[in-house]
Amino acid sequence: MLIKNPKLSRRRFLAAGGAAATVLAVGSNVSVMKAVASSKNTNTGKGDTKHIYSCCAVCVNKCGFIAEVNNGVIRKLNTNPNFFKSRSMICARGNAGAKIPYDPDRLKSPLLRVGERGEGKWKKISWDEAYSYITENVMKLIKEEENRSTIAFAATEGMQEEFYLALASTIGSLNTVRHPTLCLASNIQGYSSVYGTFPDGDLLNSKFVVMCGSNRAEAIITPDTIDMAKNKRNQTLVCIDPRATKTTAIADKWYPIKPGTDLALVLAVINHIISNDLYDKAFVEQWTVGFDELKESVKKYSIDWAANETEIDAKEIKWLAEEFAKNAPASVWYPGRRSSFYSNDVYYRRAIAILNAIVGAWDKPGGLVPKSAVPLKAHEIIYPFYDLVESRIDTGKLDFIKDMVDEYARGVIPTDAGVYLSEKDGSWPIFREAILKREPYTVRGMFVYKQNPVESVPNRAKTLEMMKQLDFICTIDTQMSDTAFFSDIVLPESTYLERWDPAHNLSGIQPIVVFRQPVIEPLHNTKSMFDMWVDLTKRFIDIPEFWEDTTEDDKEYFVEQFEKMLKPEHPIEHLIEYQLSGHKDGFKKLMENGCFWIHEKPVFGTTYKKGKFKTRTGKAELFSQRYLDKGLEPLPVYTAVPQPEPGEFRFVVGRHGQFTHANTQNNMWLLEAYGDTENACWISAKVARERGIKSGDRLKIKSEVGEETAKALVTEYTRDDVVYYVHGFGRLSQGLTNIYKKGASQAAVIKDYVDTISGNAALHETFVTIEKA
Amino acid sequence: MSNKKYAIILDDTTCIDCKACTLACKTENNVEAGFFSYRNWVGEIENDQAVFPNIRRKFRPSQCQQCDNPPCVHVCPTRASYQTEDGVVLVDYHKCILCKYCMTACPYDARYESHDKHAIDKCTFCYHRLAEGREPACVETCPPKVRKFVNLLDKQDENTKLLQTEAIEVQKPEKGTKPKLYYIK
Repeated sequence: MLIKNPKLSRRRFLAAGGAAATVLAVGSNVSVMKAVASSKNTNTGKGDTKHIYSCCAVCVNKCGFIAEVNNGVIRKLNTNPNFFKSRSMICARGNAGAKIPYDPDRLKSPLLRVGERGEGKWKKISWDEAYSYITENVMKLIKEEENRSTIAFAATEGMQEEFYLALASTIGSLNTVRHPTLCLASNIQGYSSVYGTFPDGDLLNSKFVVMCGSNRAEAIITPDTIDMAKNKRNQTLVCIDPRATKTTAIADKWYPIKPGTDLALVLAVINHIISNDLYDKAFVEQWTVGFDELKESVKKYSIDWAANETEIDAKEIKWLAEEFAKNAPASVWYPGRRSSFYSNDVYYRRAIAILNAIVGAWDKPGGLVPKSAVPLKAHEIIYPFYDLVESRIDTGKLDFIKDMVDEYARGVIPTDAGVYLSEKDGSWPIFREAILKREPYTVRGMFVYKQNPVESVPNRAKTLEMMKQLDFICTIDTQMSDTAFFSDIVLPESTYLERWDPAHNLSGIQPIVVFRQPVIEPLHNTKSMFDMWVDLTKRFIDIPEFWEDTTEDDKEYFVEQFEKMLKPEHPIEHLIEYQLSGHKDGFKKLMENGCFWIHEKPVFGTTYKKGKFKTRTGKAELFSQRYLDKGLEPLPVYTAVPQPEPGEFRFVVGRHGQFTHANTQNNMWLLEAYGDTENACWISAKVARERGIKSGDRLKIKSEVGEETAKALVTEYTRDDVVYYVHGFGRLSQGLTNIYKKGASQAAVIKDYVDTISGNAALHETFVTIEKA
Repeated sequence: MSNKKYAIILDDTTCIDCKACTLACKTENNVEAGFFSYRNWVGEIENDQAVFPNIRRKFRPSQCQQCDNPPCVHVCPTRASYQTEDGVVLVDYHKCILCKYCMTACPYDARYESHDKHAIDKCTFCYHRLAEGREPACVETCPPKVRKFVNLLDKQDENTKLLQTEAIEVQKPEKGTKPKLYYIK
């Protein structure tokens, strides 16, 4: 048995007479091997060691931990045994979080651009100077445009995001744009159209799991990833993906499906289950509407037809359908998370939701289960009503949308307007296009919080073009993201280990609440988003012209609420106390356990208890009247997506276990764990042979919108018609010293098609050519 | 005689190569940054026969095997490498002269040169944590709990019993090192 250590053999290195290994800079100087006891209590350190509860922020999961802090330096983040949502684990990224405050690449002070945009010349300024610069620019733009919405606000999720959105509301702009349309918007839209909610899959109790287009091993979601891996020996896992991802290591079967044909597979599975009477008749009768229409509409989708479309063996599809039905209600076609695949993605998400419904695998152990939450009180502020506010730029009829939908999808999704999940979310691709086209009005300023649109939004050239068009860009982050690098002013946020964050509900089958408290004092001249909002709001309060388009009453009421919020000595701590005040000893329990829960027992059957779904009909809507009314297909119909021409490859997007989006690649500890300083382009061994490509050869990867260079990774782990490389490399920011211009960027080559039913980006619709560089 | 003999039993069929173990170890033990500096790692079992689409991926986390018959200890000229009563192989950094014989002798490539410590370093089973009843950092942090930390002399322990009830393999048994990392087949 050969075991390939992805790292170089240190012995072999030695034998070859190599010199000492290169050592990257060392971040901290913590004393070695200081023995400490694990403690469940906060601040009960012995000697100079403290153990402090908080939760992670390196990805979205927010896993509870106990920080071990020695002489004011974080030594280690240990698991919190109370935090059952993660099954008391901390992943590689969570562990590497301990090094984040000490990263030499951190933003340490407010910075003002002194050279051209993107030249990388900055001047350190004080917070006072920064606030003056920002308020002057905001005032100038609002005055000149007579429209507060001329300033846009982009953000990604986080426990301080509400204060960023508060800044948008204080300034009065309606143009906010958030992450869901680069991620799961179509998923939420699809499931909600059937069930009225976006459920979880109960992978703890499931006997049969289909993971189609999701890669839970490398894109960790708690508790799903952990339950699925632990259940390796007593759960059947079918992994469907054009690449043999790390998820296939714990799967029982791998079907390398032809990309873009997932819907064909599901429709054939549904048809097989219905036409062979394998569905749950009682459930269908009592809890669904539109079964007869569904039955009729899927008749044409035979297994043989699907086998031809998907390139999965017909026998396997039949087995899949029958096992799925047999194991119900403990079977799940996993909802996945990022669903920004194709323009018609919502129909696929509807179909997999419908499949789980017809076998009755809903709100029972092992099936799909609606999320529960711990009730928390919310602190709401009423903002002034300003006159000079235009409505959002990405709403209503928009001419340019037809060009953002590929021809194949034009018959099944709208081409004159885009929809999004909520007013705050917007749709990133449409939003950017509207700014570029200056339709329906000109957006001239932008704030960006924690997000990095330059590397996160497809078609990087367009994002840079959009930024060029703006007169004012302020980015708030902990590191010099590419977006920060092209901004005018950069505000440094304190890391999650240096600040208080409000309590946050992690809804799910076992809901639990987390919060953050500083485990160390801020190391640099940084502030929390909350502090920045407070400081800027105080500035605006003192500018009379800022209030000219609202009433005296509105202003007074707003100021009164604002000041009330700031009255307590520790406003966020006070806010957390208020949030938990509906529970006896809620705040105390949260502080004593590092998290708060009502009971650990999974919650099943709320739908049945209530006697209805949260839909218009109160049933699971297999047939959607709402969709029909909107001119959409009321039942999922298959539309073949275009396939690459000979010589072309589909560029597919995927995640990697050491990285969160484009966020952690510059962390040297994670970069090392990843095993390289750059990404590599996966290319099938067969194609590589035909073209004389060897691993390590430099390749030019070219699409309609951009060209990147990366080294080749020749592998048997992929289909011949796709190529892939890890996200987050090929960076433009000189402030990301470990990855600046290393490897290839995804955003640079991916086209910006959109799914107009949910506003989601369609990230898998790009074809590229490959040649040796 | 100690009433303890420490070992790790691994069910690596559940390993997803997330490398939480590597990062937990590096922070817990203050292992310096660097592509060559690590006390534990995750490898992938190679299969030359694996041709698309007949792929079976499998990961294998590993570290110092804490051999019962440790070649590194035998070759060390200064007795810097030694074995504790409870069977853990450690390095006395003060005695180490960086001759690297141990690195050559170790069949598992488990040792590295630490530039911070000016000594050869490797996994200690987090010996400093054991005294306080805590498990090694890699064991504690692992999402699917691939590793189980056991005392081989505690025959009543449910995890120790796995050695009797499950099919077990060790790495490079032919080397006669008697490794104490037991992999469930």
